[in-house]
Amino acid sequence: MTGTSAVSRRLLLGGALAATGALATGVGAAPDAVAAGTAVPAPARKPGQTSMIDVPYDVHRTVRVGVIGLGNRGSGMTTGWSVVPGCTVTAVCDIRADRATRVADRLAAAGKPRPVEFGGSADSYAEMLRRDDIDLVYIATPWEFHYEQGKAALLAGKHVVVELPIATGLDELWDLVDTSERTRRHLMLSENCSYGRNELAMLKMAHEGLFGDITNGHGGYLHDLRALLFSDTYYTDSWRRLWHTRSTASFYAMHGLAPIAAAMDINRGDRMTTLRATATEPKGLADYRERFVPRNHPSWNETYVNGDLVTCLIDTAKGRVIRAEHEVSSPRPYSRINSLAGSRGIFEDYAGVVSSGGGRIYVEPDHSGHAWRDFGSYRKEFDHWLWKKIGDDAANNGGHGGMDYVLQWRTVQLMRAGLVPDIDVYDSASWCAPVPLSVMSLAAKGRPVQVPDFTRGSWVNLRTGLDSRTTEMPPVV
Amino acid sequence: MRSAGLIGTLRAVAVAGALALLPTATAVGSAAAAETEPLPAAAATEVTISPVDLAGPAISTVKVTVTNAGPARMRSLTVSFGGPAGWAVQPSAVRVDGSLPTGASSDATFRIQVPEQRDGFTVRTFTATATYQGGDGRGSATATRTQRSGTPLARLADAYNNVAVTDESNTAPGDYDGEGNSFSAQKLADVGLRPGGTVDALGARLVWPNVPSGTRNNATASGQAVTLNGSGSKLVFLGSGVTSGASGTATVYYTDGTSGTGTFGFPNWSFDPANAHGATLVASSDGRNRPSGYGNAGIKYRVFAHSIPLDPAKQVDFVVLPSNGNIHLFDMAVAP
Repeated sequence: MTGTSAVSRRLLLGGALAATGALATGVGAAPDAVAAGTAVPAPARKPGQTSMIDVPYDVHRTVRVGVIGLGNRGSGMTTGWSVVPGCTVTAVCDIRADRATRVADRLAAAGKPRPVEFGGSADSYAEMLRRDDIDLVYIATPWEFHYEQGKAALLAGKHVVVELPIATGLDELWDLVDTSERTRRHLMLSENCSYGRNELAMLKMAHEGLFGDITNGHGGYLHDLRALLFSDTYYTDSWRRLWHTRSTASFYAMHGLAPIAAAMDINRGDRMTTLRATATEPKGLADYRERFVPRNHPSWNETYVNGDLVTCLIDTAKGRVIRAEHEVSSPRPYSRINSLAGSRGIFEDYAGVVSSGGGRIYVEPDHSGHAWRDFGSYRKEFDHWLWKKIGDDAANNGGHGGMDYVLQWRTVQLMRAGLVPDIDVYDSASWCAPVPLSVMSLAAKGRPVQVPDFTRGSWVNLRTGLDSRTTEMPPVV
Repeated sequence: MRSAGLIGTLRAVAVAGALALLPTATAVGSAAAAETEPLPAAAATEVTISPVDLAGPAISTVKVTVTNAGPARMRSLTVSFGGPAGWAVQPSAVRVDGSLPTGASSDATFRIQVPEQRDGFTVRTFTATATYQGGDGRGSATATRTQRSGTPLARLADAYNNVAVTDESNTAPGDYDGEGNSFSAQKLADVGLRPGGTVDALGARLVWPNVPSGTRNNATASGQAVTLNGSGSKLVFLGSGVTSGASGTATVYYTDGTSGTGTFGFPNWSFDPANAHGATLVASSDGRNRPSGYGNAGIKYRVFAHSIPLDPAKQVDFVVLPSNGNIHLFDMAVAP
């Protein structure tokens, strides 16, 4: 979805729409309140407002989905929702009405019920949210709209799945937590990588104790997006490239951060406490433009301020360290890193070991001799039940190696069976907090900043999450 | 070798500064309810751990009970609890307010993150420790609880996961030491180690793995449980070590449900003194096979034997190997 609807001033905290060069690079964006060593009390809950931790979904016989944003991501995911058993796409919306029509046509041609179309203005989604035949809203618009649309969906009484990030400002993240608690509706980050096969196996190995006491983990989003960023069609109105002109943030490290956070039981016995960020000079996009982009391209008016490699070092309450990286502007093979280490061993993904899905491992007492071993047998032994159960369907129906479909299938199953979400609003807010926090730390020359405790103290309690028990999808009748 | 008694809840009694573990129940296969035996006459602090529900993935609740059997009031009681490495526990310790008169008990409740049950055999060990003032005057007492699930492997060969021997004409499959090196089948034969051949060592008759060169013929010890029947004075292991520190503790389970442990180790297959860890040299072969072919002629690559004592009055049921991948095992057998 595109357009110029009102964007909250809060976006400034995430670095968006900076009016001055100083703010664009994050200078002055770090409130004293979040400096490390300064206690940051959670805002008080309003009377009657209670936690959403361990709150199950109401049972939905059928999950009716409304989709906002029908670009590349939203269009593909709409197909995914439509093929999950017990799920129906009832409404689709994009500021460009023709996209809504095209998606509706496609679903109808596939024999699915034709969804109601919304579009034509930046506020079309609000009209869609007034419908009472939507249980779940899926949002795949440009980042600057996520907060506003996610909050509106909650206020409309819908559960919400939002693409990365759910918001770009700390106060926006807090507001989504509070709105979820007040409306008693769940909001979750559409973190498909949390459902990756290797990531889930890594999680189960961590819980088994294979790595001993977990001490550190690395993850990130390392994806050469230069060609797509300069494409005139892929990101509508070049929205993603424009973020590189106005923010220093680690925009999108959640794909690697979330699986590490899950393996460390963040918000389920541990929590992220401080973050400090570094960034390299922004060279990659300008260099690419110089070599490959015509001189009459609108991008030649742009100055890029987002560092090529933005690295966040995050400390946890239990003394662990997470390194989360974001790098989309330089030539390199794809990686989310996915490395987890502890007192008894280490796992690394993206090591090029094709037979084992890319991973390699070294754990005592199984291994000795200082040599990496193939991850294949461990991946098989610790394969998550979701992949055993629907892995074939995922490969046939979903993008990104099937992760998308697993997320969608599991979300629908949780809602239909009336279970507690694997990923809740607290996880989502925590995983997205490095977006504004990286800006703040960079503005303070890498000084640590405090990570908010969105659970308001409940992080100390052990609870299950993505490492779930085998559950059947309720039959479709 | 220490007889550790029945598997299950072990009550810890601090006696004269030492810790004796007294069996109170058998809890095999799951969180079976523990029976309670009468307290011994010794006036010592007792710590007991409730059965742990191992049906994960889940958060299980565990109760640790501390009973003051000493003559004085127990004060400043703190109870800590932990499970297998990497299993999260909440909280790690509980401080008990007030004091406990003689004979009184206090419960501390913990939550532990339990992973999904694994196929095969597992042994899970939980530990609770009470520290205090007064009471029996000992200051602390510890209890362990062991729960197991699954079935042991039928034989050691089922645990083979490593290729130790290759033919000099094809050395590529070998990887005894993690660097692609292996014994030479020809040179082992020169010193009497041939597939299926017997090896007499430390009073036991063992068998050299009866598999072709270039195939898995030894187990790196990683806590595998292996069925072994018989009775005798000791359990003999045939193997050698890689890198260094190839030692560990094996646990022998008897058919009556009791168990015992013993520690053994092997020298490095090449460079340690032949009697390191108390091992006995069985055979030395000349040189080794490297990924590029036979080499290192003039250097000895060796196989050893070592043993742990058994209770000769009991029948061995199965053995849990040490958790140390530097230990490589070709066979094990009971010696009369």
